Amino acid sequence: MTHEQTTVKFRDIYIAGFVTALLYILLMDYIDPVTEALLWVIGIVWAFILFKRGIDYRKIMYSFSLSFLTIISFIYVFFILVLRLTGYPRAVALFFLPLLTLAVLGHIKEKILTYRETRKGIKVKVSLYKRVKTTLYKLDPIMWVFIVVGFAILIVFLIIPVLLMLYHAFEVPPGQPIWYNFWRIFNTRGYVKTTLYPTDRFYIIEQTATGRIIYIIKGINFGILLNSLINAAVVTITATFLGILVAFVLARYNFPGRTVFRILAMIPLFITPFVNAYVIKILFSENGPISIITETLFGWGIRIDSLAGVALAQIMAFYPIVYLNAYSSFINIDPSMEEQAENLGSKGAKLFFTVTLPLALPGIVAGSILVFIFSLEDLGAPIVFQESRLMSYQIYSSFTSETGIVSPEMAALGFVMLFLATMGFLAIRSYVGMRSYAMISRGGRWTLREHRLGWKGKLFVYLVMLPLIIFTAMPQIGVVLLAFNIMPPSGFAINLDKATPQYFLELFQNPDIFVYIRNTLTYALIAVGLATIIAIMIAYSVSRTKMRILTPTMDTLATIPLAIPGLVIALGYFYFYSTFFRGTPLDPTMGPTAFQAWIVLIIAYSIRKLPFVVRSVYAGFQQVHEALEEAALNLGASRSRVIFGVVLPFILTYILSGAIVGFIYISTEVSTSITIGGLRPDQAPMTFAMMMAYKGTTTYGVQIAAAMGVLLILFQLIAVMIITLVFKQRYAFIGV
Amino acid sequence: MTRVRLENVTKIYGSVVAADHITFEVESGELFTLLGPSGCGKTTTLRIIAGFEVPEEGKVYFDDEDVTFLKPYLRNTAMVFQNYALWPHMTVYDNVAYGLRIKRKQLGLTEEEIRKRVKWALELVKLEGLENRYPLQLSGGQQQRVALARALVVQPRVLLLDEPLSNLDAKLRIEMREEIKRLQKKLGITTIYVTHDQLEAMSISDRIAIMNKGKLLQYGPPREVYFRPNNLFVADFLGRSNILYGEFLGWDGEYAIVRIPELDMDIRGVATTKDLPRKVAIVVRPEIFRLAEQQPSPKENVMKGVIDLVMFLGDRIEIRLSVSKTDLIVYLPNTLYPTPGQELRIIAPKDNVIVLPAKWE
Repeated sequence: MTHEQTTVKFRDIYIAGFVTALLYILLMDYIDPVTEALLWVIGIVWAFILFKRGIDYRKIMYSFSLSFLTIISFIYVFFILVLRLTGYPRAVALFFLPLLTLAVLGHIKEKILTYRETRKGIKVKVSLYKRVKTTLYKLDPIMWVFIVVGFAILIVFLIIPVLLMLYHAFEVPPGQPIWYNFWRIFNTRGYVKTTLYPTDRFYIIEQTATGRIIYIIKGINFGILLNSLINAAVVTITATFLGILVAFVLARYNFPGRTVFRILAMIPLFITPFVNAYVIKILFSENGPISIITETLFGWGIRIDSLAGVALAQIMAFYPIVYLNAYSSFINIDPSMEEQAENLGSKGAKLFFTVTLPLALPGIVAGSILVFIFSLEDLGAPIVFQESRLMSYQIYSSFTSETGIVSPEMAALGFVMLFLATMGFLAIRSYVGMRSYAMISRGGRWTLREHRLGWKGKLFVYLVMLPLIIFTAMPQIGVVLLAFNIMPPSGFAINLDKATPQYFLELFQNPDIFVYIRNTLTYALIAVGLATIIAIMIAYSVSRTKMRILTPTMDTLATIPLAIPGLVIALGYFYFYSTFFRGTPLDPTMGPTAFQAWIVLIIAYSIRKLPFVVRSVYAGFQQVHEALEEAALNLGASRSRVIFGVVLPFILTYILSGAIVGFIYISTEVSTSITIGGLRPDQAPMTFAMMMAYKGTTTYGVQIAAAMGVLLILFQLIAVMIITLVFKQRYAFIGV
Repeated sequence: MTRVRLENVTKIYGSVVAADHITFEVESGELFTLLGPSGCGKTTTLRIIAGFEVPEEGKVYFDDEDVTFLKPYLRNTAMVFQNYALWPHMTVYDNVAYGLRIKRKQLGLTEEEIRKRVKWALELVKLEGLENRYPLQLSGGQQQRVALARALVVQPRVLLLDEPLSNLDAKLRIEMREEIKRLQKKLGITTIYVTHDQLEAMSISDRIAIMNKGKLLQYGPPREVYFRPNNLFVADFLGRSNILYGEFLGWDGEYAIVRIPELDMDIRGVATTKDLPRKVAIVVRPEIFRLAEQQPSPKENVMKGVIDLVMFLGDRIEIRLSVSKTDLIVYLPNTLYPTPGQELRIIAPKDNVIVLPAKWE
């Protein structure tokens, strides 16, 4: 390749976008479809001209932030078009249009170039027949078994249920077009509400009978679909910002008490379904501690509720995911990258924004997208705040309807959710994969860069960060207080004298309650066993074969359940079993006495949490060099003997670690537990019982659910300790 | 033009003394090399000069300015890292321009002047036309040149090179070291170069400092440290040598006489110090041997042995010669045809035999 001299600067693409958007804003009030189409054409053609004149489109590929922006803008523009939003949101879309066009053109050009390069490179053409033949001879029977069985399981229990859901999404009332359900989701006011009325207020001020003034922050309702999107976006952005901030300070600065900070920052990662949202609800109620503070300071109380409450609860629960990813990204940056910049005179914010952040961005973004997915599918916060105007709650409530039949509209909604989550996930995965080179060092020293904090920094850390970290750990602290009755289930007080282990004991003594614990334990154990077997087959096949399409497909299929919302699995399984097992005990429509929920739940668990186990087992196989196996094969051992006799014992700690992590995520699973499990309450697991307690539909109180939360925290603590202390491995907290 | 002076610089990591009272001075415009095995403290010393490490003891001076505690971003040194540390998210142009853009206000540069200087730097390293590439689109050698251009463009007071060639293949390494030497002379920039490759050090440097275990053992021009090592470590580390231990017997004029039990003979050689201890060692480079004539003088170091092993190396022949109880490494011209088992008489000229105290530090 030769260098082309160009006069076109990259910022011209922004100018193009800006002008197009400006034209739209100027014409906004009089615009008609033809003029608007013309504007879109202008944006595209402009980008095309710049492309032809040799603008450096590769910048989009290589610049970390720019490629990220492109992915985000693509999703944005897509939704603006689908939802037919007009006004300023559309102007923003027009601003992105030239950039997107350029990215697409550049992508196509690069594809053509690499295609030509490879065509030139290929000297000998090997026919498909010969390729298949060599592969066939190369693989042993046992590897065939692994590949075929692994694929079969993923196809039957993952692909087919999701496809069935999609099929039902197109079930429409007679006389309606086939896309009717989707049309409804994108066009009815319940889902998308773009005009606001004076009653749609972000907060209201209320005066109680006793004369107290209370600010009630509720958030604005934009309709189910937009609510979910806006909520997920707000949660993701805030969590990302907080996560980066905390991670950067903890990774780069040294100050007294840093270890304590790091431990405190991990606390929100302990999963306590429902209870975290519940504690936040108490904290921010008109009788909660925040109101007590504001009331003494300003004379008014505060209550955060509805959509705003959901967002707050999710931010507090999910920000550590970004924090963990950002932290490991920061400490994985080759120190010489920053030292070089310092050496050339860079420091402080300039250094951070020009070198550090761009290099850490792929890791951070990987965490952010998980937050986005988790926020979309989260049920805990919406159920506790009784916020039904979210996609997740809608799907969930369709399971609890009297008819026992899930409506096709919910299948369509599930598909929209799946589309959002997996598209984001796949885009980010390729983005991160493309950029993981940033962390590859080629020798040289590797000591962490750490600085002492100045007094300003110390003030910030102790006055802002410490309260923030303690605050985000509140839900987990709260669950312990609730479980031991130190904190009452409603209102707010700390009564140390009323502390009692009674509720905790009741978990094991009351047979009506213990059944849920027993269910969870049995299901989790069986499911984890299944998941481990599947994981070994898949991880071995993926790490030891290099088949062109099959290997990456298998890899993706085994990872993607991470991005598939649990509710989508629940919907898919509902259709799957009610279609193929109609009339058998596995049919969810059989009613709460005949339906055997436990089998369905176990399979759902083992598929949903498969990625956690696969990842650990795969890491184990990576540790065993292929030459080690080849040496054994060379000396006459059969492949199965090598796998079961040499490799598996060698990586046993990895397998067990994977199994333990799997066990934890299965025992805390919510989405399928309360939907599929809810169809047969006596076979439901702990999380279902916890939800019922928080909804107030049980004879026992919230304390019992809190005690269950404490039990789950204990499980997780033990798991962390076994993995880190006994197996000397890293505990795989959620991360891509 | 800047002189760099280190006085008693000491750096301690935990219980390891990475730099132990290092003192040396680099003349302005000089190419000075810190040479030593890995872990000897050479990189630490370089990083102290760059300002990434603060020494526990001692001072660093640029000319007469004490920079010991000056922050790295205020020193105006430019470092080339072993792994190049090119930022993958910036083009070649942006990488090179980075240092100028940071100091833009301070230097009062316009974008046009920056462009000119980047162009100048890229021409220096022969990378014109690759401005818009990204580091990952470049070969290892090209990346190396970008790193060099990025350092040169800011016209630093001192250029610091940390094993810059260690990631290149052998051929490219030789090409690049020539180029670095030529550039350094052309720009007259004070340069401190760190390497573990003694050939690289000798070929490129004005002066070499040899370090081991945090201590600076000897420094001087390549020829001097090669032919007159003052220490067994230096003799062993630089080039190849036959090192034989023996007993110092006395002086024969300016030559020291050493009894070498392994050779079962007395050897005359040049001593590095006038007060030699009783236990000494001799250092004989394999290339200084020559074939003995028919009637050698009795005062010459004549050794008689049997050829044990012959290795043809292209530009020379290396043999192992069994003399008495030991094997000597001997280089012979590639025009000869030595065969194993053949008897050979060789002379080690006494001006080229070095007598040292028998200690390694």
